[in-house]
Amino acid sequence: MSRSSIQTLTISGQDVVKNGSQNSSEDAKALLKPSTPSKKTPKPENSITIAVSSRVLFNMDKEQQIFEQQGMEEYIKYQVAHETEPFSPGPAFSFVKALEAVNTQLRDLYPESEELFDVVLITNNHAYVGLRLINTINHHQLFIERFCMTGGNSPIGYLKAYNTNLYLSSDPVKVHEALEQGIAAATMFTPEKMTEVSETQLRVAFDGDAVLFSDESEQIYKAHGLDKFFEHEKAHENKPLDHGPLKGFLEVLGKLQKRFYAKGQRMDCPIRTYLVTARSAASSGARALKTLRSWGLEIDEALFLAGAPKGPILEKIRPHIFFDDQMFHVEGAAEMGTVACHVPYGIAQRVPERKGLKDKEISSIK
Amino acid sequence: MVSTVTNSDVKQKDVDQAVVVAVTFAAVFGPEAEDGSTVYRLGVALPLLQVLQRVNERLLEKNPAEHQLFDVILITTDSWQQQQNSSIINSTRHHGLEISRFCFSTEDNYIESLVQNNVQLFFTTDGNEALQATHQGVPSALLDKNSVSCPSEQLRVLFCEKAIIQPNMGSTEASKKSAQNFLAHLGQMRQKFGVFDSPLCFTLVTSHGGKDSCCCALKSLRSLGVSVDEAYCLGGAPRGPILSLLRPHFLLSDGFSLLEG
Repeated sequence: MSRSSIQTLTISGQDVVKNGSQNSSEDAKALLKPSTPSKKTPKPENSITIAVSSRVLFNMDKEQQIFEQQGMEEYIKYQVAHETEPFSPGPAFSFVKALEAVNTQLRDLYPESEELFDVVLITNNHAYVGLRLINTINHHQLFIERFCMTGGNSPIGYLKAYNTNLYLSSDPVKVHEALEQGIAAATMFTPEKMTEVSETQLRVAFDGDAVLFSDESEQIYKAHGLDKFFEHEKAHENKPLDHGPLKGFLEVLGKLQKRFYAKGQRMDCPIRTYLVTARSAASSGARALKTLRSWGLEIDEALFLAGAPKGPILEKIRPHIFFDDQMFHVEGAAEMGTVACHVPYGIAQRVPERKGLKDKEISSIK
Repeated sequence: MVSTVTNSDVKQKDVDQAVVVAVTFAAVFGPEAEDGSTVYRLGVALPLLQVLQRVNERLLEKNPAEHQLFDVILITTDSWQQQQNSSIINSTRHHGLEISRFCFSTEDNYIESLVQNNVQLFFTTDGNEALQATHQGVPSALLDKNSVSCPSEQLRVLFCEKAIIQPNMGSTEASKKSAQNFLAHLGQMRQKFGVFDSPLCFTLVTSHGGKDSCCCALKSLRSLGVSVDEAYCLGGAPRGPILSLLRPHFLLSDGFSLLEG
């Protein structure tokens, strides 16, 4: 199933042309026109490594069902029998494509630089399934040159070995393990319908507490209620919050943004970041913004919802990915077509949500 | 003058169907062995010997009449070692090692011994010995201090891409043929177990080249009868961190000669 095709990516008026990579026996290197810099995999220490599991990158629902109902041997038999059939895209697919679009624009501006996104496929699958995954990567013309098929072993050791900046998986247990090891990670869910997202601008949306920031304020709210929370935030307005598991990822996004700014691309920067928080601008928002400032981090848009549901605003923003520590918000976002990921961090995971309170109060803390 | 002695403590394997592997004296007993004592301490090959024994046990559990088992022989590679024959036999029995035969050879004739005994894989701690054996058509693997921390319940074999894509590098036609033969045996042994809980595990690590060269390697191995369990395509990233996670008992690469640390 070799495929060879020319794909044209139009970015800010420039045409970047790349050949699709061919399969197996043919020469594997992507051939490029002389005007474009050659694409080679950056060294892990220079690049921003995003590790994705096979089930978030591709849709493997059918196969997953076979595994659950008929066991591992049948699952593998099925995969091998369908080895040349590519999977269709999963929830992380558009995110990965957007990362590639950013890379293309970065290479245009900085041809020699290795400060790029590097997507690594890290899966628990056995290598028997590997050929089908490689065929699928080639079919969709994804630039993924690194992968780990751990054959059932935990991928956590490998995440650390590859200097992983972000790990996305459909398995909450692995995500939890990764977070414990200090690796930014989130469980990705598939929305029932996926709204269209930009092919040229990467948009990443973050919740605030227990995602970018620590869960200290959440703890106050859960223990003492909303009023105490507002008091506490006001009193500590100038004391930066501690950092949360995804602060590092926002940081690396910021570094890349600055590289675009340096070349005059501030207004139409190919990376855009959003803070979508249930904090309200009037009362508790100041501390969030001041914390970001104290970290030297910028966020392009900060949306203080004062307790309003996040789904509708995310539907307007159309991020490629949205991180939240509360399943309530993750589900709400997914219902409206946003690819939402759960960050199982902090007090929200241990204490059941006070949903009843949300109905009563005008603004709640998330 | 080579003398071959059977270890009467160990049941002899079927000569035609067993997979013969040879381990040198220096690997089995370690360098401190030369201190005049009659019972030697065990060296870096211990985990390997234990795991080969484990694989045999599991194979026999599946089929008590199984003949495709690992047959381990101990070989001496210099005249001093050759003279320690009785201590060697004593020590082997003392530790209860599943070594079926001893080949007491010298530096001049150990390779001949390997060939005569149909050895399919030669384990040594000496790089030169490995190179020489490979040139004479006997695939070899190096053992070192890293071998000590390998698991004893599962034999972990690691393939590097050079062996598959450029099998002629540093090896002869004869050793290439033997290597493929050995791989076929390994593959058959592996097939006897399911995906989980297998006493054998095959891992492929490709350091250079992208996913397509890894793809080629997977297919080539498959055509030789080896279904790989784990695969890592490093795309230029350094191999060290992965190797320390994987803890293979030995590497097969470049015509099956050197284990790179």
